[in-house]
Amino acid sequence: MLGIAASVGVLFSVLSFNRGFNEGLAQELESTGLHFMVVPSGCAHEVAALVLHGAVIPKFLDTGVMQHLQEANGITMATPILVAQLPNPKKERIDLIYGVDMEVLSAIKPGWQIEGKVPTQGNEILLGHEVAEHEGLKPGDVFTETADGTPLVIAGIVGLTGSQDDAFVYLPIQTAQQILERPDAATAIGVKVTNPERMNEITDELSAVVPGIQIVTMGQVMNSISNLAASARALSLAIVLIAVLISAVGVMNSILMSVFERSQEIGMMRAVGASRRDVFRIILEETTILSVAGGLFGIAIATFGSKLIEAFVRSVMPFVPSGNLISFDPLLALGSVLFIMAIGLCAGLYPARKASKINPVEAIKG
Amino acid sequence: MIELKKIEKNYRRGAENVRALRGVDLMIDKKELVAITGPSGAGKTTLLHILGCLDQPTNGEVSIDSVNAGNLPEPELVKLRRDKIGFVFQQFYLIPGLSVFDNIALPLLFSKKPATPEKIKKLAEMVGLQHRLDHVPTQLSGGEMQRTAIARGLVNEPEILLADEPTGNLDTENSDKIFEILRSLSSDGLTVVMITHNQELAARAKRTVHIKDGLVHSDSYLVNA
Repeated sequence: MLGIAASVGVLFSVLSFNRGFNEGLAQELESTGLHFMVVPSGCAHEVAALVLHGAVIPKFLDTGVMQHLQEANGITMATPILVAQLPNPKKERIDLIYGVDMEVLSAIKPGWQIEGKVPTQGNEILLGHEVAEHEGLKPGDVFTETADGTPLVIAGIVGLTGSQDDAFVYLPIQTAQQILERPDAATAIGVKVTNPERMNEITDELSAVVPGIQIVTMGQVMNSISNLAASARALSLAIVLIAVLISAVGVMNSILMSVFERSQEIGMMRAVGASRRDVFRIILEETTILSVAGGLFGIAIATFGSKLIEAFVRSVMPFVPSGNLISFDPLLALGSVLFIMAIGLCAGLYPARKASKINPVEAIKG
Repeated sequence: MIELKKIEKNYRRGAENVRALRGVDLMIDKKELVAITGPSGAGKTTLLHILGCLDQPTNGEVSIDSVNAGNLPEPELVKLRRDKIGFVFQQFYLIPGLSVFDNIALPLLFSKKPATPEKIKKLAEMVGLQHRLDHVPTQLSGGEMQRTAIARGLVNEPEILLADEPTGNLDTENSDKIFEILRSLSSDGLTVVMITHNQELAARAKRTVHIKDGLVHSDSYLVNA
């Protein structure tokens, strides 16, 4: 039964994750309020997509791009994002910095809970949860000093997101540009348009006018990330199905052993009035009960252990949306149990047939 | 009621061809209490299995209430066994996970008759187990287990009860109790056929059939029964 429980638990987790991942991704991208990203040309869609979660691209946009965007018709908002790795020789580590216009932060990161406040001054910063916890810092503390001796004061700490966001230091974009000595540089520019129906027109126009850029729409971002995750999901689903098959063989073996061990009992049942069909039905029912019990146990384990599974997935996946990825879905649970019940029924057919063929006289003689 | 004509039963045991029964003729009337005795390997159990339609003879004819069981298809044989015959075994064969109540009620599961508490309690009372209905077999003595098996054999209200060495695993006191139950059932109208090695009990039965080398060696009646 433990084998069934394990395989159903993993099956339920993978299916729940699949659903949670797609829903989380759609929700996250929709909630950013951005319609497309402008990135340096030659940047793969996948990487462009990851900029929202802090991917570092060793290329910067031309400074003139912002001007073109501001001049273009139909654009409501264009906000630069600067992501970089910054060596910190004093503390012998590399800080991951994320420069962003703090006024539009709530639009880009709508799900964040911030302890303290959003930076309003150039020398104020936000810390990701992990960074703050690792350094033991709290709002009001000085994080570090810039090369010119300006202290960077922590205005707030981002609550745990469970994503890559936890590992970043968030600065006003101008401060990030100064530190990197790249005024006006940006890794990407997030753009919101007035009328989304005109988006293709706007992106075509921009691509023609502005050299050295690539435009990635949120739809493409979503597809890219989905494709990125799809192969991993397909592989894990294949492994789960193999595990289910192995557990089905295990069930068949266990029931077969039980039939042989209980052949005298089966012989007695035949003697007191059970037909071959009755014996067949009893064994099949036992297999089904075993499978369903194992399935329910597996779903319970997967539900209670979802936080652990989620933490593991987040540690190995390159991009994972914020929020709960694995949550209990009754329909999915029911589907998983019905699936394992069907597998159990198939696995029980052979032992049930064997049991129904037992000769009662030989069985009773032992 | 039960009529066996020239019953032969042969089977193979490895390379050996065993002639378990070599032409048994036997008639058993309703309400009889018959003890079948004989040495080990004489063919007693094979005879009981053929009487109970669990096994088919190689040659010969078995009739129960004038119905030739040899001509019946498997489903009809199951029905005959279920409706007319009850079995009791030396090793009891109670299901360990079930209570006394459920063990007694088990055959009703196959006959699709309702397992009413009144019926089960009445049977339990008849065998002196009314206080043990909620117990599982591991909590019972050998005698109690056999009495549970007897109640199970009676739950479908059969006309014939076949008992294969029902006292074989019991001490003298419990053997006596079991025999008295069987004798009482016979007095109430049930046909009881019991295999036993216990000569003292066999001598108390109304009729004793002695089997030797696959044949009825002697068939005697108790004079003052």
